[in-house]
Amino acid sequence: MSYMDIRALIEGLHPLERKVAPFLEKGLTLTELTKKTGLQEVEAMRALQWLENKGVLSIVSLDKEIAELDANGKKYVMEGLPEKRLLFEIKPRPLPVEDVMKKLGKEEAGIAIGILKQKAAIQLVGGRIGITEHGKQISEKSSLEEQLIKKLVHGPVAVSALEAEERFAFENLLKRKQIVKKRIAKIKRIELTELGVQLAKQKLQNIDFIESLTPELLKSQGWKSKKFRTYDVAINVPQIFAGRKQEYRKFLDEVRNKFLSLGFEEMTGPVVESEFWNMDALFMPQFHPARDIHDAYYVKEPKFARLDEKIVQRVQQAHEKGIDGSKGWGYAFDRNKTKRHILRTQGTACSARKLASKDLKVPGKYFGITRCFRPDVIDATHNADFYQTEGIVAGDNLNIRHLFGLLELFAKEFAGAAEIKIVPGYFPFTEPSCELFAKHPQLGWIELGGAGIFRPELVTMLTGKNLSVLAWGLGIDRIGMFKLGLKDIRQLFSHDINTLRTMKVV
Amino acid sequence: MPTIKFSVKDLQNLVGSKLHLERIKQLLAYCKAEVGSYDKTSDEISADFADTNLPYLWSTEGISRLLKGVIGKEKGIPRVSIKNSNYDVIVDDSVSAIRPYIVAFAARGKKVDNYLIKQLIQLQEKLCESFGRRRKKVAIGIYRLNNINFPVHYKAASPESVAFVPLDFKKAMTLAEILQTHPKGKEYGWILNGLKRYPILMDAENKVLSFPPIINSATSGKIDIGDSDLFFEATGTDLKSLHLAANIFAYALHDRGFEISSVNIQYKNGTIKTPLLKTEKIKINENDVEKLLGLSLKKGDIKSLLEKARYDVQGDSVEIPSYRGDILHRVDVIEDIGIQHGYDKIKGISLYEYSPGRTFEIIKFVNDARELMIGQGYQEIMSPILCNMDLLYSKMNLKDFGTIEIENPMSETFSCVRTWLIPLLMDVLSKNKHVDYPQKIFEEGIVTIKKGVAVVDYERIAAVAAHNNANFTEIKQALDYLLRLFGIPYSIRETGHDSFILGRVGRVSVNGKDIAFIGEISPNVLRNFNMIVPVAAFELNLTALYEAVKRFRKL
Repeated sequence: MSYMDIRALIEGLHPLERKVAPFLEKGLTLTELTKKTGLQEVEAMRALQWLENKGVLSIVSLDKEIAELDANGKKYVMEGLPEKRLLFEIKPRPLPVEDVMKKLGKEEAGIAIGILKQKAAIQLVGGRIGITEHGKQISEKSSLEEQLIKKLVHGPVAVSALEAEERFAFENLLKRKQIVKKRIAKIKRIELTELGVQLAKQKLQNIDFIESLTPELLKSQGWKSKKFRTYDVAINVPQIFAGRKQEYRKFLDEVRNKFLSLGFEEMTGPVVESEFWNMDALFMPQFHPARDIHDAYYVKEPKFARLDEKIVQRVQQAHEKGIDGSKGWGYAFDRNKTKRHILRTQGTACSARKLASKDLKVPGKYFGITRCFRPDVIDATHNADFYQTEGIVAGDNLNIRHLFGLLELFAKEFAGAAEIKIVPGYFPFTEPSCELFAKHPQLGWIELGGAGIFRPELVTMLTGKNLSVLAWGLGIDRIGMFKLGLKDIRQLFSHDINTLRTMKVV
Repeated sequence: MPTIKFSVKDLQNLVGSKLHLERIKQLLAYCKAEVGSYDKTSDEISADFADTNLPYLWSTEGISRLLKGVIGKEKGIPRVSIKNSNYDVIVDDSVSAIRPYIVAFAARGKKVDNYLIKQLIQLQEKLCESFGRRRKKVAIGIYRLNNINFPVHYKAASPESVAFVPLDFKKAMTLAEILQTHPKGKEYGWILNGLKRYPILMDAENKVLSFPPIINSATSGKIDIGDSDLFFEATGTDLKSLHLAANIFAYALHDRGFEISSVNIQYKNGTIKTPLLKTEKIKINENDVEKLLGLSLKKGDIKSLLEKARYDVQGDSVEIPSYRGDILHRVDVIEDIGIQHGYDKIKGISLYEYSPGRTFEIIKFVNDARELMIGQGYQEIMSPILCNMDLLYSKMNLKDFGTIEIENPMSETFSCVRTWLIPLLMDVLSKNKHVDYPQKIFEEGIVTIKKGVAVVDYERIAAVAAHNNANFTEIKQALDYLLRLFGIPYSIRETGHDSFILGRVGRVSVNGKDIAFIGEISPNVLRNFNMIVPVAAFELNLTALYEAVKRFRKL
């Protein structure tokens, strides 16, 4: 052990460690240490653990049997043990057994009689108990048992620390009702290393290190003449949980920023939507299979939306008789159905609203990040409600090549996909339609979304103009799951605070 | 999206080419279909078909017909010659208000086997379920032709007046009994709800063929292995769809080698012969194609691509096969040109217009509010918008203040739209009692409130603090921090709110408008969530605050 080692050690001692150090000796217990230092048990323990980390000592945990008084024992210390009390009762004259029982209580009287008989201290004559000569002698002395409870009244004692006859008395009393008890205590004891032995020899109290740098020390420049206690910089510190963003919400924020950086303008719409904006305005016929009762949540009240008659009229006309070179669907458009309130099933409803609005810009690029709702059984791939990202690009001369170019860009920007595949698809409101797949390094081809060019009927009835409108939707929940490393879509809305606190930042 | 099963071998036979499995998978993209699975033992492919407007593809015959065009085995519209017959179906006027239309034809000269029966049933079921709106619009029956004595009568009958033995049963039942006890009666009875008389199909000897759209007769209403002469009929509410169904089946059976004979349908005011197999024409030129696809194709290229997709082309006029009902506009045809050209051969190009990115002002405001809560140590939460009345009100000791409830919920748990956020945060706390305290969480998001006949969405933010010493001061500090940094003066007054402790709940207002409430959660509510630590909470209407702040900043 060099001089430098011990200096470095001492300079790094925490005040608690410094308080403990002078008392370190082999076999010292935690309880003894708290008594000697006046520290709280947790403080002393913390100091010992730090010192253990520094190689000064090792902490040994031991189970120890402790003897202590029980409820009756505490009483008997004052009153005397029942056998002694019995002797005093019968000393003046013999008493009937019943009277003794009454005075001492049945149980203790029985034991006392048994013990005293064995010692030939009493005799039974004609149902009365009388004292013998030997009994008179005994009554003058205190028994081993009495001595033991008088010792224990000052506090628990380790069983191992009892003398042989004390231990004998302890075993006897253990058999009786609640006089003494034995419990197992965890004892922390220390073993000193060579460094520890050295440390214990040092006179520490006189060394004055700077613990905290205080304004006073700074003002007085007192720090210049002192040394800073050094820290164990590798020490483990307690973990904290601070406030933070929900990771999926953060991902959606990033998606929004990405669209903004690509020159898109955000659009939105209401959660409670009419069938009109959700479907009819998209030129989906009212008899379309995707419009069955089990494909949308219907609202109880209010059942119907208020709509602008003029645009409903235009849409009805297009559905029934066609528009702009189209045959139309050729059926009787239901005015009540179109007003029916549902929960928005697709973000495309927002695109329809945007196209019909006065502030539509041409050329214009729009996106929406919207909650949508469909009656699905909830499982690992279906949530109660989910996010859709969709949008449109409106222009005078856009074609499918612009759409494909856009999809390639999205695959790169949102999924980091280098290799993509575009295949024919079907959506009721686009023609042509396609689906976008991206190659995932582990999972192979995964579907990112669908796209197409809005049907001319749709565009004409909503804008009154002959525009090209590219439309696309991305499965943003799925892309988010890949990004966050989740296997179950329900985890996007996790309510597990531990998970939310400890989720890694990606 | 219908899922269709078919055998690889059967497809190879019909196409007349030994296409291997991988090639079939590629080719199915032309049908907008994706292979789900292939079963080696039964040699069957199961594929999902995306386009609900192309029911002709829901059979091996239809798929083969398109693929023969794609791989160049055949081109243009396949022609079916129809023989005239003296088979008559007499439509009684009594069905006109019930289920007015029927189409029919006969197919002869080829023995059906087990596989073909399965294929026909598959096409029939998928077509009736999806395209036929669960049989309401179109319901189809196929019969052994030789069992039928013509003319056949299509008429309406009262529920008790007719009885016959339905398929899968042994004894005769009245129409009313069938609706009550037969599985198909229970499944499709809704179509006839409220009618006093039901449609019935009988032959000349009053033998019942079927009770459309419910069930066929067990004696004359089915086909068996070895039958070679078939009678097809379809009834429904939309004549155009019925013609399409008849055309699709006539083509399918013709592809199988049957000879098709028409049936004369005699309505009160005239007779039509079905199947019609009537084609329509549409005009398309190179400019239309270039406008949509960005490809400068020559007339000849367009013609040959369209012929692959089984159209006929003469000049600018494109003839559409009669088994397709999906062509409303020239864009529907141009898509087929694009698909036949190959999407993989169409090169993407960039948009040519510059545009600035832009979002709503309130988005920035909302994000500022979130940041301010996070800075105070609050963990952000995100919950579904759907929840339930028990959570929103019963557990919170409160009465409904305008909830959008769902008429057809899938589960009680998600049966309405949230009207406020604190209950969701309480739910989170109650699920995390084993987690280290203090727990300080918040959520920002949309709530939806019914106001008379109107429905309004608001952006709201709510925060809760839960730990042994959580109290009003702590949560008011949090809200005060938010409002102070938005720079708007506010006032707070004591109010009554049953979710909170009386005397420890306040209403916050800005410029005379209430925008938030704040307080310590009532022990009754805590008990409802099994919470044993105090909780302090606030909920703030960000939409209203945003408007107020905007106005205030302008002053």
